[in-house]
Amino acid sequence: MAKSKEVAARSARAVEQKGILHAAGEALLSIAQTTGSMGMVAGRLMSRLVRLRVDRDELFRSLYRMGVKSMPIVVVTALFTGAIVVIQAAPLVQRLQAHALVGWAAGFSTFREIAPLLTALMINGRVGANNTAELGTMVVTEQIDAMRVLAIDPISFLVAPRFLAIVCTLFLATVLADALAILGACGAGMVLIGVSPATFYNSLTGGLIGVGDIMSGLVKSALFGVVIGLSSCHFGLAVTGGAPGVGRAVNATVVASAAGIFVLDYFVSFTL
Amino acid sequence: MSTSHGSSAPTQAGPLAGGSHEPVPDTPPAPGFVAKLGGGFLELFRTARELYSLFVRTLYYVVRGRREKGAVAYYMYEIGNRSLFFLTVVMGFIGMILVYQAGVQNKRILPDLSMLGATYLEYLVRDLAASIGALMLATRVGAGIAAEVGSMVVTEQVDALRMCAADPIDYLIKPRFIASIIMVTCLIIWSGLVAYVMGLLTAWVMFDLNPQTFMNLQMVKYPALLTGLVKCLAYGAAIPIVSGHAGLSTFGGSEGVGSATTRAVVNTSLAVIILNLIISATSFLVFG
Repeated sequence: MAKSKEVAARSARAVEQKGILHAAGEALLSIAQTTGSMGMVAGRLMSRLVRLRVDRDELFRSLYRMGVKSMPIVVVTALFTGAIVVIQAAPLVQRLQAHALVGWAAGFSTFREIAPLLTALMINGRVGANNTAELGTMVVTEQIDAMRVLAIDPISFLVAPRFLAIVCTLFLATVLADALAILGACGAGMVLIGVSPATFYNSLTGGLIGVGDIMSGLVKSALFGVVIGLSSCHFGLAVTGGAPGVGRAVNATVVASAAGIFVLDYFVSFTL
Repeated sequence: MSTSHGSSAPTQAGPLAGGSHEPVPDTPPAPGFVAKLGGGFLELFRTARELYSLFVRTLYYVVRGRREKGAVAYYMYEIGNRSLFFLTVVMGFIGMILVYQAGVQNKRILPDLSMLGATYLEYLVRDLAASIGALMLATRVGAGIAAEVGSMVVTEQVDALRMCAADPIDYLIKPRFIASIIMVTCLIIWSGLVAYVMGLLTAWVMFDLNPQTFMNLQMVKYPALLTGLVKCLAYGAAIPIVSGHAGLSTFGGSEGVGSATTRAVVNTSLAVIILNLIISATSFLVFG
């Protein structure tokens, strides 16, 4: 009796004190599991998207709620980050007397990196998190099961329209953010370092920025949209455990999409 | 931030089919553009005032509050150690991306890349490490705080705390606030280091830039260092306050927790961007 108690205590201690290898293996397994189940969600989504079995009304509703309703934060973020780019470059510009290059420098970094990246992060917070919360609430309150009972395919009715709406929203929001960030940069350049809008415009369109730079950013934004859509739908559908479960799922989806966005950004930057 | 009452327009009471008299509309008319704009501003103003009040009360409890043994250390572990892996991965990748893009941009006008490392380090110290790291922490930590506090509100644990005469701000927000200020500063210094080392390796591999040329500290001056540290402290204070506010104002069931978490991520990221603009502009105007 005493011996079995001791064994139980020792095994409990062994469970408590996980070694670093154990923890690393567990983390790796959970990452592999998440990637695998996201792949399965992607497969199911593709089978509906290819056959165009997407609910049209839900698509438009999602586009309105995700796209139109996110416009304020996209506008604010783009204007501010454009201004920040110029403020950060300002000491260097004044040291080198390179006022004629401000527009080019701001445009290059904005089109290629900053606008797609920051818009994706904000949309991830606003739309991705919201999507997970909604799908998770439906799972927790058994609405998805109810749809299955009624022979309505939840993927083509709920998930596929949201996925499409997220990708479209992020792409279009990045186009808008490109323009607004340039406006913010132009304003900050005029106020802080005295670069007139005409100089700014000339250096922006002077031929150093090609269509390739803008396309690189837009391709990125479409891929970021796919990442956000997949991860938010996956974590939303995998919720267990009531209201705290929904909170945890939202947290997990935001973190996973942010990490995915940066890793993908690296590969796209090096291949384009 | 915006509530849903603006989206569902009330159904207009149309004229009755056969009625001769003028029908009295029983719903108020849909708010016009000016009303919506004013409503938005009032909402913004109210949120700002609540955030200010939460901040002041947290500061009060930092000085005069209850001392709970181990709470700050626990949240330092939760906020700091558990974000370390995520932040290291993200900052490693962003370091590689930034140096690659900067090198490509630089090569279009100057073939000489010898100042790339020095300039990169200056930007990293003054802005990029703090701002990108804080945006990442805003999603990771902010969402976590809002989800925890929000589910406590929904399951009435916060009300239970109030009934035990324990202020939830003292009990829930204050330890996170102290832990976040310390750990965000540490994490940002670490993430700057990671981004710098990965940038160095990228410059070495992609542009054949000698690491000794890259490791050039001459551009980092005290103003840049001071700006970076002020940003660390400001973001460290802003993240728990903004996301704690979103968590404490949760209502409704699991849907409420979800929307509180969303609000926390968006508002914390916006707070980081706005603080960045304010601090960067001030630093530029002060130090030139």
